[in-house]
Amino acid sequence: MTQRIPVIEGLFAELPEGPRLLGSRCAHCATPYFPRSPVCHHPDCDAGRIENRMEDVAFGPSGVLYSHAVQNYPPPPPAKFDEPYQPYAVGMIDLAEGLRVLGRIATDDFSKLQGGMPVELIVDRLYRDGDGNDVVTWQFRPAEAAGHRNQGRRKP
Amino acid sequence: MTEVAVLGVGMHPFGKFADRSVTDLCRSAVLAALADAGISWREVEAVAAASSRFSGGKGWGLNGNDVVEDLGSTGVPVYNLSAGCAAGGNAFHIGYTLVASGMHDVVLVVGGEKMPKGFIQTSGVEEATDPEFLRQRCIGVSGPAFWGMLCRRRMEDYGTTEEHLAMIAVKAHANSVHNPNARFRKPFTLEEVLQSPMVCFPLRLFEICPVSDGAAAAVICSARFARRKTTKPVWVAGSAVATARFDDGMTRHLAAVSPPGKTMHSEAKLAVETAFERAGLGPRDLSLVELQDNTVYYELAFPEEWGLCAEGEAERLVEQGETGPTGRLPINPSGGFQSFGEATTAMGVFQVAELTWQLRGDAGARQVPNARVGLGQTIGLGGNATAVMLKT
Repeated sequence: MTQRIPVIEGLFAELPEGPRLLGSRCAHCATPYFPRSPVCHHPDCDAGRIENRMEDVAFGPSGVLYSHAVQNYPPPPPAKFDEPYQPYAVGMIDLAEGLRVLGRIATDDFSKLQGGMPVELIVDRLYRDGDGNDVVTWQFRPAEAAGHRNQGRRKP
Repeated sequence: MTEVAVLGVGMHPFGKFADRSVTDLCRSAVLAALADAGISWREVEAVAAASSRFSGGKGWGLNGNDVVEDLGSTGVPVYNLSAGCAAGGNAFHIGYTLVASGMHDVVLVVGGEKMPKGFIQTSGVEEATDPEFLRQRCIGVSGPAFWGMLCRRRMEDYGTTEEHLAMIAVKAHANSVHNPNARFRKPFTLEEVLQSPMVCFPLRLFEICPVSDGAAAAVICSARFARRKTTKPVWVAGSAVATARFDDGMTRHLAAVSPPGKTMHSEAKLAVETAFERAGLGPRDLSLVELQDNTVYYELAFPEEWGLCAEGEAERLVEQGETGPTGRLPINPSGGFQSFGEATTAMGVFQVAELTWQLRGDAGARQVPNARVGLGQTIGLGGNATAVMLKT
C-alpha cells in the first residue's frame, strides 16, 4: 500500500485543522522562523540572546504569492522528481504571520500565477520512491475560495 | 590610510581549457599583471587570493599558496579569502587594506577558477541542518529560479518585457565582440536571444551567464611606490565589503522575515553605498559600472537599488541604449558575465582589470569615452558582497 512519507521530518505536519509549517517564534521579539530555530537571530534581540526563549508555532495555511518562476529544466541533485521530468513552478509566499516562505506552487497553468494572489498551504507528492511510497512536501496552490477572488494585488 | 594605486593588471582569457590547470591560468594572469606593473615577482610583499571552490587550493582553498609555490616561494604572507562568488572582490579589499594601512607597499591580488560543467551544484552535504540541501531536496529551486522569481516580480511591478531582458543580452554581446579576453564574442540578435530555451521562466538561456574557466590578477601599491613606476596611476577611490542584513527580503534559507520594503540584495547595496561614502563620490561621478550580471535582471535591479537611476527607470535606459559604452550610464562594457561566463571566485579581480583598462583609455573599441571613475561589484553565497571604486 502506498504510504505518504515526509521528505524531511519536522518541517511540516498534517494536523486535524489542515496542513501547517512547523516553525518557531521568539518570545522576546516575536520574530518568526521556519524551519524551527533553537535561537533567535534578530540582531536587535539582546534579551533573546541572553535568555533564549523560542516557542513552537504552526504557520499557515494562508498566504499571498510574492513572485514565482518556473523550473523549466530538471534541477541538479540533491533535488528529486518523478520521471519523465515535468516543469513546475516555485514561488516566494508571504504568510500572514510575517514570514516569506519558499515552496512549490501546485498548478498546471503557470500563466494564471500573479504576484499578490492568495494561495494556501497543502502537502502533496514530491516524487514516488523506489518502494512505491509517495514522498510528500509542503506546497502552495492558488486559493479557490470565492471570498478571495476579489482581493486583487497587494501593492509592493 | 595611505592612497593605493592599481599599478598593473592581467587576465587569462575566459573559456573552457581542459588541458590547463587553475595554476596555469593564474600564472598567465599574474605574469601579465607583473609585466604591466613593471615589477619583478621578488618585489611582491604579500598575496591576497580568492579561495576557489572548484579547483586547486589543495582542497582547502589555499589558492594563493598554489600561486606562490608556482612563481617561486619567497616567504611572503598569503591571505586566502573565501566569500562565494564575492571572493575575488573580497581578496581585492583585503589586499587594498594591507597597502592602505601602511603594512605593505606592493601586494598581489589574484583570483582563478576552473568550473565544472553545467549549473553550479550544491555543497554535496545531505543534512537537514543545511539550508541549501533543504531547498533543493524539499522544493528543487535552482539558482536561476531565484533570479526568475525576482525578475518576474519586477515585470509585474514595472512592466518589464521579455524584450527588455533580451536587449540587455544583446548589448552585452555587442560589447564582447571587442574584448579579446571574452569567451563568447559573437553578436546576438534580439530574436536569437528570445528564441533561446527557457531555463527558468521568465529567464532564457542567453539571459543567464554560463560558467567558465578564467583568472585575473592585479598589482596594487602605495602612492609612494606608484609614483616611482608611473606618471598615470589608477587610484583606488574606495573599497568596501558587506554582508546581508537581517531585514533582507530574499529567502536565503527556506524562509525570511517578510520585509517592510523590497530590499532583496542588501549586501550589495550596503557595499556600494559604503564604497561611495569612502570615495567621497556618488552615482553622478560614475563613468562606468562593471556589475555582477549573473542574469540580465541584475542590470535592471542593481542600478536602481544603488541610486544610479530612479526606480522603474532602468528599462528606459536600456531601451534608449544609455547602458552601452557611449551612453549615460555604461554598464559592463567588458561584455560582463554574460559574455565571459563566470569563473566564480575570479570575477572581482576580473572587474578591477577591466575598470583599470577603461580608466587608462586602453579598452579599444569598447572604450567608454573620457572614463574617469569606475565601480565594480560582486555578490556571493553567504550574503557576501564587495564594491570597489577606481579613479584616474
